[in-house]
Amino acid sequence: MVLFTGLNSATMNKILLIEDDEIMPKVVARILQPPDYQLDHVSNGKEAFEKLEATGYDYALIITDIMMPYANGFEILSKVKSHDREKPIPVIIVSNAGNEDMIMEAFKLGADDFLKKPIIPAELIIRVKRLLMNK
Amino acid sequence: MYIQVPEFLEPAWNLFQGAPLAIQLAMIFIVITTVITLLAYVSILRNRFRGYQRAKRLGKLLPLLDNLIVEEVLANQDPLAQTQPDAVQLNLESFYQLPLHKKWARQATTDRIIHFRRNVRGNPGRLLRTLYLQLELDKDNVKQMKSSKWERKVRALTEFIEMDIPIADVTILPLTNSHNRELRAAARHAYIKLSKNEPFKFFDVVTDPLLMWDQVELFRIITTTEDIAIPNFARWVTYSSNRSVVSFCLKLIVHYNQLPAVPAVKQLLDTKDHYLRAEAINCLGKLRVPDIEDKLVYMYSSQPLQCQIEILKAIGRIGGGQHIDFLKQEFLHSTNFDLRKSAAKSIVKNESIANKILQELLDTADPGRLLILKHCMNPLIKY
Amino acid sequence: MLRTFFEHGVFIYGCTLLFMYALLAYMSYRGIIRFRKKSSFTNYDHLLDSPLTPGISVIAPAFNEGVTIIMNVRSLLTLNYTRFEVIIVNDGSTDDTLEKLINEFELVPVDFAYNERIVTKPVRQLYKSTNTAYDKLLVIDKINGKSKADASNAGINAASFDYFLCTDVDCIIEKDTLLRMVKPFMDEEHKKTREVGEPCPQCGFIHVVEDSRQVIATGATLRLANSLDVDEGVILRVRPPEKLLPRFQEMEYIRAYVLGKMGWSGLNSVPNVSGGLGLFDKEVAIKAGGYDHASFAEDMDIVTRMCAYMLDNKMKYAIRYIPTTQCWTEGPPNMKIFSRQRTRWGRGLAEIITIHRKLFFNPRYKKLGLVVLPYNLFFEFLAPVIEFIGILYYIYLGLTGQVNWQYALILLLFVYLYSVMITTLAICWDQITYGYYKTWREVIGLALMAFFEPLLYHPLIVFFALRGYWYFLIGKKSAWGNMQRQGFGKRK
Repeated sequence: MVLFTGLNSATMNKILLIEDDEIMPKVVARILQPPDYQLDHVSNGKEAFEKLEATGYDYALIITDIMMPYANGFEILSKVKSHDREKPIPVIIVSNAGNEDMIMEAFKLGADDFLKKPIIPAELIIRVKRLLMNK
Repeated sequence: MYIQVPEFLEPAWNLFQGAPLAIQLAMIFIVITTVITLLAYVSILRNRFRGYQRAKRLGKLLPLLDNLIVEEVLANQDPLAQTQPDAVQLNLESFYQLPLHKKWARQATTDRIIHFRRNVRGNPGRLLRTLYLQLELDKDNVKQMKSSKWERKVRALTEFIEMDIPIADVTILPLTNSHNRELRAAARHAYIKLSKNEPFKFFDVVTDPLLMWDQVELFRIITTTEDIAIPNFARWVTYSSNRSVVSFCLKLIVHYNQLPAVPAVKQLLDTKDHYLRAEAINCLGKLRVPDIEDKLVYMYSSQPLQCQIEILKAIGRIGGGQHIDFLKQEFLHSTNFDLRKSAAKSIVKNESIANKILQELLDTADPGRLLILKHCMNPLIKY
Repeated sequence: MLRTFFEHGVFIYGCTLLFMYALLAYMSYRGIIRFRKKSSFTNYDHLLDSPLTPGISVIAPAFNEGVTIIMNVRSLLTLNYTRFEVIIVNDGSTDDTLEKLINEFELVPVDFAYNERIVTKPVRQLYKSTNTAYDKLLVIDKINGKSKADASNAGINAASFDYFLCTDVDCIIEKDTLLRMVKPFMDEEHKKTREVGEPCPQCGFIHVVEDSRQVIATGATLRLANSLDVDEGVILRVRPPEKLLPRFQEMEYIRAYVLGKMGWSGLNSVPNVSGGLGLFDKEVAIKAGGYDHASFAEDMDIVTRMCAYMLDNKMKYAIRYIPTTQCWTEGPPNMKIFSRQRTRWGRGLAEIITIHRKLFFNPRYKKLGLVVLPYNLFFEFLAPVIEFIGILYYIYLGLTGQVNWQYALILLLFVYLYSVMITTLAICWDQITYGYYKTWREVIGLALMAFFEPLLYHPLIVFFALRGYWYFLIGKKSAWGNMQRQGFGKRK
């Protein structure tokens, strides 16, 4: 029983951060630390797809920017949401472009949350926790 | 006049003296062009070398700096802490191991703190500001402010805006009358963001146009500054003689959904400037002012194209439902494609009220008009 | 008599030309320094979340680009901007370009209210994606019009925003291009009116006229993509072309853009916005008649017509250039394609000069008629001709023993060094704009090409230009197929 929950929580809190800015990953890495969270960071759309394929979409949560090289956040979002899984991975969008159109588009594609930069770190933690709890 | 010429140049000198003017000029220019070319090479190499040095120095500094900032600002944050983030005494010990006595390092630190502030706000954001102040980085900026070069002043103002550091009105106000346009604009932005009394005062006095770019910056500053008192923008819509201020206020009225400003905006429907009139109609439509539809329909026929389009859009946005027939009329009988399309869009937008008319149109319209209707009804097409 | 006239003429001509180059170098330096100062405090990202950001339609025609189309479209879709659409015009490709697009981006045919404001070859079908992630994409499938111009026009007809960026599918565009190129449009006051005269007896109002300087187009520097490290449309590392011919072209592009266009921009007399990358005001472009599909220089032609339209309607306008490189384009890698390209350019220039001859020296067309076009006539169009005649004349003088060889050599050396200086300055200005390339060796390696250019590269340019004029005179049918018309067509 103990072993089981231990294993489960380890996979549960694997988080993938997709972000091409160099500051944000450092911030997120600091606030979502082990042992509660295991954070993987990739810096563009291509690496994101490669990472997702390589791990078999084994993430509890994805945090992604929108405007990035190779593929933008929307594309990643749509791919993640259409991926064949029992329950799609929750996705939080964190972007510095936050006009109405983009927010609408994100939610239309099934985003679970939209945060505009600059973010309040405490808020991000709460939103992450909430999404992980829903799971 | 006798000039001492080195021996090896003797033949060239003799040639020069005996040559016609054109050749003499050519010879002079040969020397000049050679010198300039060499200077250009020196400049290129110097530029590269400096870039290389800068990259090397920053490559060493930035990772250290990032770690320190993250630890100092994000590690100890507790939203329930008693002390205000502005009053916290940060542990600066570790920062002094950085070469902060050098100007470039201080500048890099400032830039990095600003970069961080573009990513985080809230408590850590304010701690970043505290860090900036306690490292006394603002002193460099105050110095920069006093520079005689306009671009340095603008940079200083931008930095103060980013870091939210108050400046005295007496420092900013003279700059709002600067001969340099960029400086004038930056001073205005700083005034709105940082002035403690009446941030919107300059709307009253500004005489030169607010360019689109200025408006983007101003809009951002006004809508993201947290403790700014938003006035009723109707004041400037009515009284300002600067049309770009009026136009900008219309956008702010829409953003803040300022219904009390509606009477002032209505007044603008009589303005002679058709661009401004179109913007006013657009504003009324976005505010969804219900009792304006009659007036818009009444004035429609005497308007230029851009105003007519805006009227059709506004009726679609307001969606009162009394003027669906008017939309249908325009859709069927207008000769202009854009008018037909705008009318169709507005009909489709009010599908719930207009479904009968819409169905009727779908059944009877000619192929061209049917295509427009289908275009507007297709959820895949946004515009 | 004739001889002294000729000699004096050539002398004055030469001096004016050299003076113009110096002036352009100076103006472009001023422009670049000003640009640098401005960018030290401009944050383009502010456009990303503003509701006031103008919308842009990116138009890229494609003909038989099946191999690279997916990657290129993806690269366009990831541009840093919020209000934009990407319009791909499939110009009757005979390969699988369209099928690939349909499969990859989940496209379906839509009933699109296409308004044919500029007449083009028939449009077969328009496609939109069913996946919201690609909702910025619009694909137009049309019957081949045998020209990029016709395809671009179809894109303009379908565009929904006020501005359109004209580019080529095979160009690699820097991510922040739209942000940077739209800025000059926002730096002029727009859409202002002024009242004129007494109240009109019919309507009782005082009539108003447009009164603002409108930016109608912006351009940016283009460079060659030949030796770029690119991965799926993302630039990893910038380096100058390794092969000799593209290397000369890179140098030439830098000179033409950073020194030439930036200089003209400072004088507000830009003659041309490259077909490889240009942001235009849609309304003005349509009113001016769009691209001319029969033209060999459709990019220069449309800019000239847009200017003429503005002047005809008594509106003030400006064309702006930014010095940073925003677009990388594949340059002709070998002599065969290169000769075709340059012959085509020569022919295009001859065409522009004849089509727009009414504008020349016409004071109604202000700077366009008095500066821009005459400059192009004398120093772009006639330069190869005069140079060629000059060489023949010199040979004649040499054979008849009338040349003072010492003086001739001095003059030659002077002209040679002057051209080296201008090119070196252009590269220097370019480096001031941004430190392109990674190592100083690459920069110096490129700069040193300036010493070989007058001997190796320049004669080729002159020859091909003359051949172009000749083809224009005899009205030779275009021998090049679709492929060359699409690619390698970016006039510098």
